[in-house]
Amino acid sequence: MTATGTTPARKSPLHHDAARPAPAPAPRRRRLTERQSKALAFAVLTAPILLGLGLFRYVAIGWSFLLSFSEARRTISLGNWVGLDNYRELLSDERFRDSLTMIVLFTALIVPLTFAASLGLAVLVNRIRRGRAFFRTAFLLPAAVSYVAAAMIWKMALFSGVPSGLANTLGALFGADPTPWIQTQSPPLYWIVLVTLRLWLQVGLYMILFIAGLQSIPPHLYEAAALDGAGPWRTFRSITFPMLRNTSVAILLLMLIAALQAFDEFYAIFSTGASLGSEPVRTPLMHLYGVALQDQDYGVGSAGAFLLTLLIVLVTLLQGRILGFSRDKD
Amino acid sequence: MPVSSALSRRGFLGTSLLFVAGAAVACSSNPQETASAKGAKVTLTQWYHQYGEEGTQAAVKRYAEEFTKANPDIAVNVVWGADVSQYETKLNAALLGADAPDIFELGDFRAEMARKGQLEPLDDVYGAAKDGFNKADLDYLTVDGKLYGIKTIDDVMVLYYRKSLLKKAGVTPPTTFAELADAAKKLTTGGAKGLFIGNDGIGDSPYLLAWSQGVDLIDGKRVVYADAAKAIGGLRDLHADKSVLLGFTTDWYDPGAFNQGAAAMQWCGLWALPAVEKALGDDFGVVPWPSYDASGKAVARLGGWTQAIHSKSKHVAEAKKYLEWLWVKQADIQIDWAVKYGFHVPPQSEVAAKTPELSKGAAKDAVAIANKNGISFPAEWTQAMQAEFIAAAADIAKGAGAEKTLEKAQSKAQSDLDKQLG
Amino acid sequence: MNNAVNRHRGSVLGSAATYLALCLMSVVFLIPFYMLLRNAFMTTPEVTATDWHWLPSSLSWSNFTSLFDNPERPFGRSILNSLLIAVISAPVSTLLASMAGYALARIAVPGRAVVLSLIVGTLMIPQAVTFLPTFVVVGSMGGVNTMWGLIAPGLFNAFAVVLFRSFYLSFPAEIEEAGRIDGLSYLGVYGRIILPNSVTMIASLGALSFIEAWNSFLWPLMIGQDPSSWTVQIALSSFLTSQTVNLPELFAGTAVAILPLVVMFLVAQRHIVQGIAMSGLKS
Repeated sequence: MTATGTTPARKSPLHHDAARPAPAPAPRRRRLTERQSKALAFAVLTAPILLGLGLFRYVAIGWSFLLSFSEARRTISLGNWVGLDNYRELLSDERFRDSLTMIVLFTALIVPLTFAASLGLAVLVNRIRRGRAFFRTAFLLPAAVSYVAAAMIWKMALFSGVPSGLANTLGALFGADPTPWIQTQSPPLYWIVLVTLRLWLQVGLYMILFIAGLQSIPPHLYEAAALDGAGPWRTFRSITFPMLRNTSVAILLLMLIAALQAFDEFYAIFSTGASLGSEPVRTPLMHLYGVALQDQDYGVGSAGAFLLTLLIVLVTLLQGRILGFSRDKD
Repeated sequence: MPVSSALSRRGFLGTSLLFVAGAAVACSSNPQETASAKGAKVTLTQWYHQYGEEGTQAAVKRYAEEFTKANPDIAVNVVWGADVSQYETKLNAALLGADAPDIFELGDFRAEMARKGQLEPLDDVYGAAKDGFNKADLDYLTVDGKLYGIKTIDDVMVLYYRKSLLKKAGVTPPTTFAELADAAKKLTTGGAKGLFIGNDGIGDSPYLLAWSQGVDLIDGKRVVYADAAKAIGGLRDLHADKSVLLGFTTDWYDPGAFNQGAAAMQWCGLWALPAVEKALGDDFGVVPWPSYDASGKAVARLGGWTQAIHSKSKHVAEAKKYLEWLWVKQADIQIDWAVKYGFHVPPQSEVAAKTPELSKGAAKDAVAIANKNGISFPAEWTQAMQAEFIAAAADIAKGAGAEKTLEKAQSKAQSDLDKQLG
Repeated sequence: MNNAVNRHRGSVLGSAATYLALCLMSVVFLIPFYMLLRNAFMTTPEVTATDWHWLPSSLSWSNFTSLFDNPERPFGRSILNSLLIAVISAPVSTLLASMAGYALARIAVPGRAVVLSLIVGTLMIPQAVTFLPTFVVVGSMGGVNTMWGLIAPGLFNAFAVVLFRSFYLSFPAEIEEAGRIDGLSYLGVYGRIILPNSVTMIASLGALSFIEAWNSFLWPLMIGQDPSSWTVQIALSSFLTSQTVNLPELFAGTAVAILPLVVMFLVAQRHIVQGIAMSGLKS
């Protein structure tokens, strides 16, 4: 495509664009070259989002970056520069370091799990003819529940420590004693609570994205495979998965970012009223939420945000190295 | 192809537009206009957090209107805020921006707000009435010799116990930690546990244990809670005995577990007393958290809400006038606010003594406990210190060495405190 | 021939297994909703009771009616506010993301990689910490307690850009080239060919950004100071007050707050189905 771009091939008088002002071409008006028109289209299409992100995100990001080198408690004005002290303070904090280790392990486990579950559901839902809408809605519906509300249901109805909790009621059928699921640390049963909650809330969301990807696979490929006598697993491996590559890589990137920034379900499950402290695991964002939004230490909070960003960049670069960031074909 | 898809696109947009139109019509009226703002020269904005009790919002609006009736120049725009866990975040954001309230509530009073110049000193609001306020409250609100807030209600937290269950188990209300642990163990039978201090099995108990050994959290400029390693180490015994209730539906600040018989003793607030009375009649009593041993002291946590004035408010004088009128002078309003919706103690002892609801039964005991045993968090206490301290206590409950764990947390808290004091 | 019969039998068995698996999974996914609805009809003592109940003792709507009765919590208004926000921001943000996603996937210009990393970069920097400066920026522009202040920062959805880009990367190039040969400009190709053929993706991501707008919490909490600009999530959190947690109302409110999304899904479903029909036409 790049090679053909240089020839002014678009001067065709057969242009059927209704918006054209006059049938006769204006005598001295210069047409845009291919390169200029490309650049113009690119600018027009990306400008709104770049301007918006610039105003609402990058101003704040730049400001936070400067704050990360300032002492800024209960203020966000700059000026009281302290160099790298905020970064040093966080990195010397054992609990913050632990939270970074924990989140990497968590990500390594939850991302494949979420990926497999949502892709699996998408393939199953996409395979059937009747009842597709029902199943799609059933799996997407949890995404409509906010974290706070979902955590309520998990804490109070499914995994509460009293005998009336659903998990304990089911356990009682097998003669188990009522268990405080969230508070039991050996074995760490709270992970069951956290992981089921997270999967329930997120799987449908990613499933929808996979379904959109599946539907853009041309059906004739499947027809050809069926004629070749390929079974479901071979069809999946030789057609579905390769054709979903771009979608998968993008979804994987988003899942990695979401996992490394995990906050809501941990916070909602472990916070007691307004305070934290007794939680058995803490994510980096939980730590920073307390520092920045509760204690109002924006210097240290911003430093932590950039440390976490650094970790995210490293992990996603690693992913890109392994899988490529959905390169396009040219 | 383009025709059908263009149609469907239009359909999609059309549906959306219908929604927008409907919602826009529905949202076009603004009921928030305050009628009293007309004619007043100054309008103060006053923020409250969301109280759960019915009638509270109408009550504070009524107080504001009464004030305007007496002072036609000053109107008050009451803004009802977020729930307690989010209110502070919202307030802190507002205080940094251009739309900050003139007067606001604080759940945890933070001395740093005063030191950073966010709060206006209120000594002249108290005036001669100062001596009539709860002494623990005044200590709490004093930063470097000046008072920066005024308590509107005191919430005392106490240990509720079921009389009949204690009698059946052959124990008396505990007066030492050893008795508490023993009672909790004996009261743990069948499905019920002896003691409920929080769903995490920790709750506020680390504070209470430290205080009950006679140790403060912060002494002057030093964090000293590691001195209470002995008492806080007691958490390990409670957990090893499996006598504390974990993971109930509602947390310790709700009387649900106690009322349902899931625990025979529960640490909870005076606010729960009407609900407990309704559920259990007179089959309950209240005591303070027991003294750790003979050399310690019985304690109770004192919470509640404080009102303060933003130092950058354009109407500091009017705001002070309003707070003085409301929380120093209007005894009737203070009683109304304390007991007509929820169940709290008015911070002026003379007013508390005049409150009929607080002069009988368990409520009377609780008020006596507030005066005799009440302790507030230190005003220098922060979320980071709290998280560090509670995490240390949770580790101890799991079996970590108390002294070492607390010392580590303490040195971290000390550096926080040093930063705060500048 | 025998082979073909086997294959047929295999596919019948296979689809029965598929249905079975889907039914089991959907039951698991719907259990929490059952708990939610059950609790929404209960009383506080029933919710906190220590023994299990399949159903509430009586089917009374009082928890639901009291949601809307209480003048101290503008629940009805908060639902309307959230609807307004989501209904504006979902289509706009999806369109903007589709535009950028297309440009990033298909228009090769120098600097494209930089633009892509600028957009993806905003996803990598945790938003919670940069909220405060954003709040001050929007506040200084007069956005506190206004509809635009609630909506504008949510219109720029980098998440959706990444997904649209990957979607357009796999888009068949022949259709685009046919449009170019017909003399359409790049923008013309986008508007006349690409956009109409992305309905599936637009409906899917539109639904997701609707959900996101509906569930957002921290930003509306800060910017919507006055109860008249509360969103539904803020109103719901007001059931979680310090001293009295009104559990039945909280569950009932949650159930009500999910309803508009269910309706929205049903509307979006139709378009997702139409998208399938069109992808058939495309080839």
